[in-house]
Amino acid sequence: MANDANRELLKLAAFDDEELEAFLPRWKKTAEKLKLTDEIIDFSVNTYIPENWDIKYLGVRKMLGAYLRELADICSTPELKEQGVKIVYGILPAIANYYYAAKNAGGDKIFIGFPDLMLVNTLNSFFHSAAPFLFEAEKYGFTYGCRHCPLNKMRVAAYVTGTIAAPDLIWSWGFNCDEGPKTDEMIQGITGKQWKYHVSRVPHDSRFDENEDMMETRLKFMCDQMKLGVEAISEATGFAISDEDMIAANKDTGRIGFKVGMLTNLATTADPPVLGGEVLTMMQQVLTVPFNTGFSYMEEAIDILTKEIKACIKKGEGVMPKGTPRVGFYNVPFCVPWVGKFFRDNGVIISFSHALTLSKRQMSASKYPDDPWMSAAETWSRNGMCMNLNGETTSIIEKIEACHPDGMILGFFDFDRWLGAQQKIIAKLVQDRIGLPSYYIEADFWDDRDYSPESLKTRIESVCQIINMRKAQESEN
Amino acid sequence: MKEILQGLDKLSSARPLELAKKKKEGKKIVEFFGDYVPEQWINAAGAESYLICKGGDPQPPEATLDYMLRFMNPLAATMAGSYLLGLDAVMPIADSVVIQQHDCHYGRMSEILEYKGLPVFKVGVPADYTVGISQEYYRQELREFREKLEELVGHPISDDAIRANYAKTNQINELLRKIDELRKQDNSPITFSDFIRLNHYTLRVDYDTSIEALTKIYAELKNAPGVHKDGAPRILIMGRAVALGDYIVPSIIENAGGSIVCEFLDEAIRPFRNDISTEGDVIDAYAAAMYDNKVPQCIFQPAWDTRYVNLQKLIEEYRIDGILWYQLAFDEIYDMEYTCLSKWLGETKTPIMKLETSYEYSREAMAPLTTRLESFVESIKEAK
Repeated sequence: MANDANRELLKLAAFDDEELEAFLPRWKKTAEKLKLTDEIIDFSVNTYIPENWDIKYLGVRKMLGAYLRELADICSTPELKEQGVKIVYGILPAIANYYYAAKNAGGDKIFIGFPDLMLVNTLNSFFHSAAPFLFEAEKYGFTYGCRHCPLNKMRVAAYVTGTIAAPDLIWSWGFNCDEGPKTDEMIQGITGKQWKYHVSRVPHDSRFDENEDMMETRLKFMCDQMKLGVEAISEATGFAISDEDMIAANKDTGRIGFKVGMLTNLATTADPPVLGGEVLTMMQQVLTVPFNTGFSYMEEAIDILTKEIKACIKKGEGVMPKGTPRVGFYNVPFCVPWVGKFFRDNGVIISFSHALTLSKRQMSASKYPDDPWMSAAETWSRNGMCMNLNGETTSIIEKIEACHPDGMILGFFDFDRWLGAQQKIIAKLVQDRIGLPSYYIEADFWDDRDYSPESLKTRIESVCQIINMRKAQESEN
Repeated sequence: MKEILQGLDKLSSARPLELAKKKKEGKKIVEFFGDYVPEQWINAAGAESYLICKGGDPQPPEATLDYMLRFMNPLAATMAGSYLLGLDAVMPIADSVVIQQHDCHYGRMSEILEYKGLPVFKVGVPADYTVGISQEYYRQELREFREKLEELVGHPISDDAIRANYAKTNQINELLRKIDELRKQDNSPITFSDFIRLNHYTLRVDYDTSIEALTKIYAELKNAPGVHKDGAPRILIMGRAVALGDYIVPSIIENAGGSIVCEFLDEAIRPFRNDISTEGDVIDAYAAAMYDNKVPQCIFQPAWDTRYVNLQKLIEEYRIDGILWYQLAFDEIYDMEYTCLSKWLGETKTPIMKLETSYEYSREAMAPLTTRLESFVESIKEAK
């Protein structure tokens, strides 16, 4: 059993025979580095992944494969760096297009990735195994009691354990949180200046009566910050990022964005429900997190899944019964996938994530069609997560009206003083403005160490009871 | 000095009532937070300014829990919580509540006030203060603030009036620096508890009253004997803030025989080491003094190397025996700075103790707190 665990994992992740044999040695090395023992992998293959992910779809298994490939790339950065490959990291949230453009400029001579996210995400979503790294970061001074972000903890831990290389440059976007960019200063402080970073900061200074995408001075400042970031990458890597590189990256993300949008639309409107929001969110992520392996693996997964979903809809099949109530999330906690299972066990399915679903405003024409930088700043400013609380609430309501959930779940961001702080008020505002039941759950999106499954289970049961009752009443009426 | 302090305390406490009267007389009231909001301009506009700088009470932060994440620092939460509890007498009558936006804690707490319908105005302060475009952005934010003030009072603000106020705050700074200099003596003639109170009073009462009081206090202190026991361990207190009303920890240290002779605090203290030029463009003068060239706040980036250099300078100048790291609960960026500083200080063998506060000073909390602080003072004494 144990000897075949890695092979079984790759089979589950839909590697074909040839690919599997070629990738297996790299994967074994990756697993060893990440302390993914045969027992852990065996548990994942036979229990954790089947229980929490819709693996009946080939597209979902292909998605798993895309993440495993990315993980292997990230863990090989120390060797890549030795070979002269330039290492460029970033942090969430950022506009991934710039990193993809850097990849277009440098090809195999440049590595791009958000290592902390990819490590926490893949390790917890599929193996429930990020905790040892998080404990390691706590030993290095990311104290447990202060509610730091698990992504930042992972960045420290992955570096001090030699799992990832020091970057030639990490371009840390500080357009949202403070802790993300300051983590790079902390890594320098405790390990030395070989950890090279560039930060971009924009203050949260829009008022409730202002729309960020209409604030010209702020947009200009943001676009100048982006220009400085791209210049810093070019300087650190020696690869100039041309307009063509940028256009190609925009074209790729535009294409994938369209496909993901189609899939989201299919999945969120199908009855019976055909797919959980966890998968959609994981697939949408390729647009916001640069994959060094590129788009091809995820695009293949999206294409296959779309066909499978269409077939299911045609046959009237789903993963839950017809009429199952749906809940939207601020951001679906795909790193704690058992949350989705708890909802399903209580007769409710998670349908969509506000954070990664595009609003009409995000998809509307740019005021700056001839200026890609201003247009990028405008795009950023139209994202609900980058607005003030009032604008974000409006954006969430717009998405609710498009996706028709029976309830909204806010929370799971208790580590974030920007994206997590305001969600209680948003829950109140959504309920007040459109009467949709909205709940705030204090929990951590990335890391489930602090919240026992039992206590969350009770909370989720209660929420589901109310949503089910309300749905039943609506049906009777 | 005691009488002068008592007088200032009375004036400071009476300030909200004074503002209510002035409001009736037609004056505009501007409550504000932060060094990056120029109070001198508010006063030059003929409006009345009132700084948000209270802390030390656990109830206001608790009042924000219906609205906001639990893990916010209690000082920022006090700003919104005091309003929610009806404990901020000025905010309900303020014509504008101006809050600097330099970190997420204040950013989100400002939004509770907006949610409650208060007339909030924001001054953006980019954290990457060494970058040219950020320096320009802050200046632009200041220009917009000036326009806002002019709109509020209905007339232009004269540059000369602003410069006159710069001159007055420079004078207050100079007097505070003179008093501060006395703390470098073997035995300081003023406790930290009095020094920080004095500082807070100057943020509340008008400039001329502050200047007069500080002049008298300096005259009294310059030849006064020390207030501590000889050889008392010399302590530096560092962190975000010792807010107005948050005086318990310094008192415990002093009662235990420690002498806090220096502070390295970012907020709720007059920036008395930084004078503002009374020459040239008034916006540029303010930004240069308070943003470009001041020792960076913890949240700024890069900051910690520069702050460590400044800390070493203070350690040397004030002959510091130990550092009290006074951290607000859930203040994540200060927590990270502590990790770096404690590592660097470990290399120089300077003792440092981290104390986190959620403003919980109940009877149950006081005993272990006192024991910890007493042990810290004792350990420094022994090391001396």
